[in-house]
Amino acid sequence: MERGFTVWFTGLSCSGKTTVSRQVAEELRKRGLKVEILDGDVVRTNLSKGLGFSKEDRDINIKRIGFVCKLLSRNGVVAIGAAISPYREVRDYNRREIGDFVEVYCKCPLEVCIERDVKGLYKKALAGEIPNYTGVSDPYEEPLDPEVVLETDKEEERESVAKVVRKLEELRYVQPAEAVSYSEEEEETIKQRLTDLGYL
Amino acid sequence: MRFKGKRVLVIGLDGVPFGLLKGLLAEEKLPHLAKLVESGSFKRMNSIHPCVSSVAWATYMTGKNPGKHNIYGFVDRVPESMDVFIPTSRDMDAKTLWEILSEAGKRVVVINVPVTFPPRKVNGILISGFLCPSIDKIAQPKEVARVLKEIGYRIDVDAWQARKDLDRFLEDLHLTLERRIEAMFRFLEGEKWDFFQLHIMETDRINHFLWGLWEEGHPQYGPEFIKYYQKIDEFLGRISAWLDGDTRLIVLSDHGFCGMKKEVFLNHWLQREGWLKLRTETPKSVKDIHQESKVYSLIPGRIYVNLAGRESSGSVRFPDEYERVRDEVKGALLGMTDPDSGERIIEEVFKREDLYHGPHYNDGPDLVAIPRNGYDLKGNLDKKELTYKGPLVGMHTYDDAFLYIKDVEVRKEDNQFGVMDVMPTILKLLEVTPPEDLDGEALI
Repeated sequence: MERGFTVWFTGLSCSGKTTVSRQVAEELRKRGLKVEILDGDVVRTNLSKGLGFSKEDRDINIKRIGFVCKLLSRNGVVAIGAAISPYREVRDYNRREIGDFVEVYCKCPLEVCIERDVKGLYKKALAGEIPNYTGVSDPYEEPLDPEVVLETDKEEERESVAKVVRKLEELRYVQPAEAVSYSEEEEETIKQRLTDLGYL
Repeated sequence: MRFKGKRVLVIGLDGVPFGLLKGLLAEEKLPHLAKLVESGSFKRMNSIHPCVSSVAWATYMTGKNPGKHNIYGFVDRVPESMDVFIPTSRDMDAKTLWEILSEAGKRVVVINVPVTFPPRKVNGILISGFLCPSIDKIAQPKEVARVLKEIGYRIDVDAWQARKDLDRFLEDLHLTLERRIEAMFRFLEGEKWDFFQLHIMETDRINHFLWGLWEEGHPQYGPEFIKYYQKIDEFLGRISAWLDGDTRLIVLSDHGFCGMKKEVFLNHWLQREGWLKLRTETPKSVKDIHQESKVYSLIPGRIYVNLAGRESSGSVRFPDEYERVRDEVKGALLGMTDPDSGERIIEEVFKREDLYHGPHYNDGPDLVAIPRNGYDLKGNLDKKELTYKGPLVGMHTYDDAFLYIKDVEVRKEDNQFGVMDVMPTILKLLEVTPPEDLDGEALI
């Protein structure tokens, strides 16, 4: 079984966490790894349904995502967490709990995120319609020593994806693409070929 | 397009025995080969242990023993985890003939040689062999895949077909060979090269599934078998007609073949004799061996001691118990007999120090059992009987490969040399200095 681990994307809303994490997941799947994404927005509709945005509720939400990542990681799955996770203390808690934890900071100036505002929530928050909105009326604590910093306002998407994958290779969580001979499916094909020939 | 200068063209015929060709030549069934052998050396050559194509061609292309190149079979295990894997070109820890030639500034084209997947970079073109899962990934440079698709190139025949419908298998064999030859001529004539090698895998495939039928004189498949070899002969005729005075032709095989009486399941025997214990009734791989096991086997005839500190489930202590276990298993293997005929099954058992040396010596099998002709050693863990007679009717032999070099005198006698010696011979023909750590020696 491959070694599981967790890649944790943190950053302001609209900083690129979902976009980059999806592409990283795709790249890792191509290399034959099992990958699961736990996206903050999706998790809040099921696992953390009913939780609000107070510090306490936010911490519970992040710990829940971290807990699932831990279960997946220890069973050989690559767990990708993508959530604002604004508080350093609870991110560090997840790091300690999971162990094999790679923190990716999607660094993007607030003004750029406001400009992107894909969900129109910044607009509402700035108008005072949404309380406790990270970056506007709630704090975001930058990671002090993340494994990867993505400057999503300056980098192309593919550069950001490559940075994450390169770090995972450096940390030996994944083999460099050129060092992998077969995906799992291909290996099965070849094993079948060898079996048919009586070579296995 | 013809280019002046010394060049070498190699045709690899997988698993074609010297003895078979000699016999067919005597019967005047291979006129083109007959003409070729009038000028040049045609000799019987040894293979390598264990005698399978991946090990033999790895030995050929590196000029080194498996202790140096690290390919010991079509399947291997990681002792620390007991994970089973298929060794590929990435596991081959030695420069290949075509890489050495590339570094010397020669341009090479290499097609279909086993254990060249994933294709490593060369100065020229490398199209890897049957361990490649798809044409998209087969070649270096990658664009070559497009040409192969145009031709309808096939990586390998469907061996499963042979188990269901021999007629369709034969059709597949013919078509695959035709497409391979078509690809060869496309590159032979369209590319500039100093070294060119085409590997024909189909001969090994037909031998596995039709050899026994030919031997017993099957009314349909006996003649079909010969017809296929005559098709190979016609191809050799086409090559001879194509040759210019500056190109040396080499034709060789990597091992011989003989009829197979039975498959022999060594792990079943090891279990029965108390050397091997499994953790489950339905074992899937060597991962399922019990830590009380003393030894286990991988195909063909490779036997590994379940060594403490090496195997994850290891329990045999080094060195005293290790040596005792090896001696006892070796002795017992030599006494193993066919339950039906009482015939001895094992001809010889080598300790690894008898066969291998080099940085990957420790990755090799602790013992290698060599069967008598007719008994093919298998590594299955789930068999409930020692022997089985199935659709496979041919098996590999060590001492009956062949080497032909046109217009050149090979200075060794039959079986006084092996596949390892061909690579330094080719380097000499192309006037390229061989690396110092080769195990093979030039034959000219």
